[in-house]
Amino acid sequence: MSWLPATAGGATPLDRVFGLRPDLYEPFRAFYAVFWSDRLLDPVVLELARLRVAQLLRCESEQQVRYAPALDAGLTEEQIARLPDWPRDSAFTDAQRAALAFAEQFVLDPHGIDDDCRDAVIDHLERPGLVALCEALALFDGFCRFRTILGVEAPGAVQTVPAPAAAMSLA
Amino acid sequence: MPARHPIRGDVLALQPEASARFWRLYGHLWAHGVLDHGIKEVARLRNARITDCGY
Repeated sequence: MSWLPATAGGATPLDRVFGLRPDLYEPFRAFYAVFWSDRLLDPVVLELARLRVAQLLRCESEQQVRYAPALDAGLTEEQIARLPDWPRDSAFTDAQRAALAFAEQFVLDPHGIDDDCRDAVIDHLERPGLVALCEALALFDGFCRFRTILGVEAPGAVQTVPAPAAAMSLA
Repeated sequence: MPARHPIRGDVLALQPEASARFWRLYGHLWAHGVLDHGIKEVARLRNARITDCGY
């Protein structure tokens, strides 16, 4: 339960906090969902980036969520368990490594993203993919902080949920 | 040739649907809500300064 003295209704902890501002929650969900509905990035790359941001920011509620499209595309719990050690782990593809290096630097110091880091993403994801990755990382980074600061409750165990959609609750 | 917006016209145009949904959310954030514009602007500028974002 959030520390907020009053929460909204809803099916998920995020619903009950963000639902206090339904006029913002609805367009937020519509924006969030587009990364999956329009497949702006490979779903495994997207999921690894989201989870790595959550790990760096120690956001428990975000780390407990798995979006089904990534699992359907081959992401496993074993690979997720190895994510903190990705620079030394051969389980990650070159495209995933490029995105993870970019994601880590995005969170820690965006001015530290040099030409090599950026060009590696472009080589694998092309320029529209780089833009999509930046937008996704801005969402993941910002809303890990949102969840942490407002005390959005983490589920007791890992939960796999469908791809986000504008009309659905967010886990 | 008319000047292009450096973010809308060049960068975000590479992802038009995401851009449209972002601007809908961002526009709503600025045009509505319970915080006055001064607080939003101070927070925005302070965030930009901390992250050393010149834009």
